Amino acid sequence: MSLAKIPSFLLTFAGLLLAATAASAPLAYISNQLGDSVSIIDANTGKVTDTVAVSGKPAGVAVSPTGDRVYISTPEAKGFAVIDSQQRKVIANVEVSEGSLGITISPNGETIYVADWYNNTVTVVNSGSLKITGKIAVGKSPSGLMVSPNNRWLYVANRLDNSVSKIDLIKMTVVKTVTVGEHPFGLTLDSRGERLYVANVKSDDVTVVDTLPMKAIATVKVNMLPYATALALNDSRLFVTNQDDGSVSVIDTESLKEIGLIPVGEKPEGISTHPNDRQVYVANWFDGNVSVIDARNLKVVQTIKTGEGSRGFGQFFSK
Amino acid sequence: MRKLYLSIPVVAFCLITSAFAHGPVRQKVEEEITINAPAQKVWDIVKNYGDVAWLPPVKSVTSQGGNEKGATRVLTLQNGGTITEELKKYDDAGKSYAYKISEMSTEKTISHAGAEEKVPVLPVDNYAASIEVEGSGDTSKVTWKAGFYRAYTNNNPPPEMNEEAANTAVKGVFKAGLENLKKLAEK
Repeated sequence: MSLAKIPSFLLTFAGLLLAATAASAPLAYISNQLGDSVSIIDANTGKVTDTVAVSGKPAGVAVSPTGDRVYISTPEAKGFAVIDSQQRKVIANVEVSEGSLGITISPNGETIYVADWYNNTVTVVNSGSLKITGKIAVGKSPSGLMVSPNNRWLYVANRLDNSVSKIDLIKMTVVKTVTVGEHPFGLTLDSRGERLYVANVKSDDVTVVDTLPMKAIATVKVNMLPYATALALNDSRLFVTNQDDGSVSVIDTESLKEIGLIPVGEKPEGISTHPNDRQVYVANWFDGNVSVIDARNLKVVQTIKTGEGSRGFGQFFSK
Repeated sequence: MRKLYLSIPVVAFCLITSAFAHGPVRQKVEEEITINAPAQKVWDIVKNYGDVAWLPPVKSVTSQGGNEKGATRVLTLQNGGTITEELKKYDDAGKSYAYKISEMSTEKTISHAGAEEKVPVLPVDNYAASIEVEGSGDTSKVTWKAGFYRAYTNNNPPPEMNEEAANTAVKGVFKAGLENLKKLAEK
């Protein structure tokens, strides 16, 4: 059937569909731990467009590179839930182990990694089959984790060991471990995979790690109980949630100095940067909302109501 | 028929494991009260960090550091237990302050999962709270908020140290405190 024979209204319809897809907004997925739900925020309008029920005290968030799937760790359901972003509902629950918390996906979208708080392991799950393909022994109470842009290395914060491990994903084993501050939790890798920024909950600072030698190159003091970090403006600024201060510290990544402190809501936890690289979203656990920070002028430009116990631990934006 | 017979214990087992096998989830308590008195009068009662005469479960208090960040106070409860708290934020103009529990005495020791467990006087862990007075003419609203974990930080908590015990205890203190504050301020 040649194109000429397709009724023109159908072509128009297809054209509209394509246009709609191309213009689709980035979405932020915020886990509401006490509310057993995930709020989906349309980042163009800053409005919650859907709330998906997710049982098991949802905490960690990872989004597939294509944005079609969202993986939410559910500590009380011992694993993670899989949300289909088109249907906007949970399409599968994967049982992993009893302390599932930190979760991430490789940049090629093939593999999901889940850190287990109690068993001191990272479980490897194939994103296609949702089957467990392996377990990697790490340090005590692994928390935040992130895969390098080339899919080769996995970095894990070992909270109770005060360290970060580098895992070779071909050999599936830890190749190097570096001591950081006390109780590292969330970590962020820069876009080139060269630097890691680790928030240390107990020592109120951020450790900067050069990933090639796996050496700590700086420690930057922030505020009370830093939880997680996010980079913006071409990796030039690092944003750190200070849970007990209700604020976000801003660090210049060149001088490695704190250049700003932005008041947000109470108990800010998860933090991620909009794909436009300028807006930074912060989940405020106590207030059940999200503060949107303009990374350039360092001001909160919007507050979005989400749900009870908003946590959003992980990279929660889809492109 | 055989299938049904087998499934009952399996279901029972699943229910038990899912109810107990999980990591601690942070809990939240928020209580507020409306007081028929101006905010300044209410704030004057609570504003000195080292003075908690308005809080009924507390018998006496010692403190150092005044109302400066980092100040500490040790509350001795009616039952003799002690709670040490550190001042984390203080805002006289905003009529609020925030504090954290840094140390607690043990209320009792229990045996759980083959180990001796010390139950703290307030069965919580990693507790941070804030209190704020907001005025509106002749009335004011006092909000007391806390975020904390259950006292048992490992998996499978005993009932004395689970989420319910933690929430009940904190709510009890907040309610008693706010009601008494109202009584004192409306005198």
